[in-house]
Amino acid sequence: MSDASFKFEKHQRSLMERLFEPPAIGKMSPVAKVVAYTFLAIWSVFVLFPIYWVIITSFKDAAAVNQGPFYIPFVDFQPNLDAWRAQFNDDRFCDIPAIGRQLYLLVHNSFAYIVSPVFSITPMEPQICKIYLAFTNSVVISIAATALCVAVGSMAAYALARMTYRPKFGNILVFVLLTIGVIVVTTYNGVPWWVSTAVALALFFFFVRSLGKHFKMSLRNNDILFWIISQRILPPIVVVIPVYVMFQAVGLLDTHLALIVLYAVANLPIVVWLMHDFFVNLPIELEESAQLDGATRLGIFWDIVLPLTRPGLAATTLLILVLNWNEYLFAVFIATVKVQTMPIMVAAKNAGEKGVFWWEMCAVIVVMIIPVIIMAILLTKFISKGVLQGAMKG
Amino acid sequence: MADDQQQASVKFDRVQKSFGSVKVLEEFNLDVDPGEFLVLLGASGSGKTTALRILSGLETPSGGQVYIADRNVTDILPKYRDISMVFQSYALYPHKTVGENIGFPLKVRKVEKDVLNTAIVDAAKQVQLENLLERFPRELSGGQRQRVALARAIIRRPSVFLMDEPLSNLDAKLRGHMRAELKHMQETLGITTIYVTHDQIEAMTLADRVAVLEKGVLQQLAPPEEIYNDPANLFVAQFIGSPPMNVIRGSLEGKNFLTNGAKVKTPVTGKVEKGILGVRPEDCSIAPASSKALNGTIYTTELIGDHALVTVDWGDDQIAVKAPKDFKGRQGDKIGVVLPSDALFVFDETTGYRIR
Repeated sequence: MSDASFKFEKHQRSLMERLFEPPAIGKMSPVAKVVAYTFLAIWSVFVLFPIYWVIITSFKDAAAVNQGPFYIPFVDFQPNLDAWRAQFNDDRFCDIPAIGRQLYLLVHNSFAYIVSPVFSITPMEPQICKIYLAFTNSVVISIAATALCVAVGSMAAYALARMTYRPKFGNILVFVLLTIGVIVVTTYNGVPWWVSTAVALALFFFFVRSLGKHFKMSLRNNDILFWIISQRILPPIVVVIPVYVMFQAVGLLDTHLALIVLYAVANLPIVVWLMHDFFVNLPIELEESAQLDGATRLGIFWDIVLPLTRPGLAATTLLILVLNWNEYLFAVFIATVKVQTMPIMVAAKNAGEKGVFWWEMCAVIVVMIIPVIIMAILLTKFISKGVLQGAMKG
Repeated sequence: MADDQQQASVKFDRVQKSFGSVKVLEEFNLDVDPGEFLVLLGASGSGKTTALRILSGLETPSGGQVYIADRNVTDILPKYRDISMVFQSYALYPHKTVGENIGFPLKVRKVEKDVLNTAIVDAAKQVQLENLLERFPRELSGGQRQRVALARAIIRRPSVFLMDEPLSNLDAKLRGHMRAELKHMQETLGITTIYVTHDQIEAMTLADRVAVLEKGVLQQLAPPEEIYNDPANLFVAQFIGSPPMNVIRGSLEGKNFLTNGAKVKTPVTGKVEKGILGVRPEDCSIAPASSKALNGTIYTTELIGDHALVTVDWGDDQIAVKAPKDFKGRQGDKIGVVLPSDALFVFDETTGYRIR
């Protein structure tokens, strides 16, 4: 080997080598640093400028928007509170007690809904300014839907990660055929639904216990997981009309419950998929040890598994929360009046006869993004590293 | 302590286990006496851990029955078997303190708070951890984590202890120390213990009886000294002992073992075409080359400390001999190896059976 390939001292390197070679393992060369930070700086402008633009636009008036573009407040244009007044002052229900009224309305209407099978209480009509209503609707719907979705989804993911399922193709086929049969006889032959369902269930269990044992081909856990994920491949626009018809049939259009259930179901595949990965990677000895120590399965899930997957759980929750908070397509169909959410409110600023009220739209957008930022900051505290440290080995 | 403890027997009755087409355990029979310290010894893949996991209930056998205290537990959930287990990886709950880890088995049984706290302190004292109860596992050393796992196992006073290579993640010095502590603790508590290891020294030092497993088959079940002095077959003979037993190929004719042109008198009689002569290094001795010894050349000499280990080339085989520590032979020297006629074992090479 020639001497030139060994450089024991730094000053022996040429200028080009010093520019292009990293000074140590795990560091970047000067040129790479310049390239990387330039790229990051440009990218940051791309990401941050729209937020800046939304904020300053919310303080512009019609003239400042239409004669624009004006970039710097107080220099290019004189900021004013017109757009904000339009949201809060010009609405005759918008005052401080409105917040209390809105909270009372929520409690009253929820109570009315819960007791509705026993006796009926007239739900209160919202007497509140639109932005409060949309904001509280968004908060209630996205938090409830996220909680439901993450709870059900992570339990399903844990089951798929730790238990063995072998549903047989033959049994699945029989189940589908019986379901079709129930629909046909109920719809066209006038058989009461509970009769047909009971008969079909009895037939199904009889079949599974007798002939079903002889089937060989079966699905595995991974097939079930893929089946669940595949539900998310379907574009929501495809199902939105059937979903509308379904909620209309059961009389749940324009209710919180409809949107909560819909959002939870729509995001379930994402939760199952993400959480499955976290659960599978947990060392199984911890759960086995807890089993021997006498813990129940639910106890292990609560006491051992969930605390150890807290970072993953927090990240998943944040993602679903943001997806629910921003959801527009389902909301525009299901939430017609009473349960309008923030995205609907933003879009509504586009629908006036006098053109688009960009300044008002931006004010609503600012209101809409603040909670997301707060939520992200709160939840990143849970996304800490090294939870599993000390569990295994020495 | 030992007398108020309920001691349980353990019995494997023709237990089988296969994963797909791979047979891990074949017709495994084992009786463990109440209060016994039994070591399951075997190389990796011998089925020893599978046997332990079947006993714990974490694995279901493909066939056969398992009994604890004469109760058939084959189809019973792990938590109803009254056992506790120490895992190789310790399996401590990283988000719980040492005290919470130790108390976990009682906490899930809804034991009252003050009883629980006394039990935690008691168990911690037995493993000298009473000052570390507030720490988290990540703040402990390997040996301390091992003790937490032990304390968690003893707090409940189970009928049977299961240990799956509990010492293999510790460094050599600590391992020796913990071994002695473990033995002392088992003797004090008198709880039936089943201990899985691949380390023959652990097996020899800890066990009341050793069960040697290979390829899912029990090779020998005997007290340590019998395993060492009277191995049942070639596998056991080679597995136990450090350095391992010498293996010299040849044939047995009558009382004589013919190898590499030499004739060795053996304590057994028979005729085996392909035979193996086994002899332990410490039973052999070094002598000047002569007609009474097996004469070979020195392959290498290693000074161990209290003795020197001399490896001598003998035909296609090598013979290791424990020589005095002042032995001065060098590589390539001609040397004689004297075999004792009363400490020789003869095996059939094809079957591995011992010729008696």
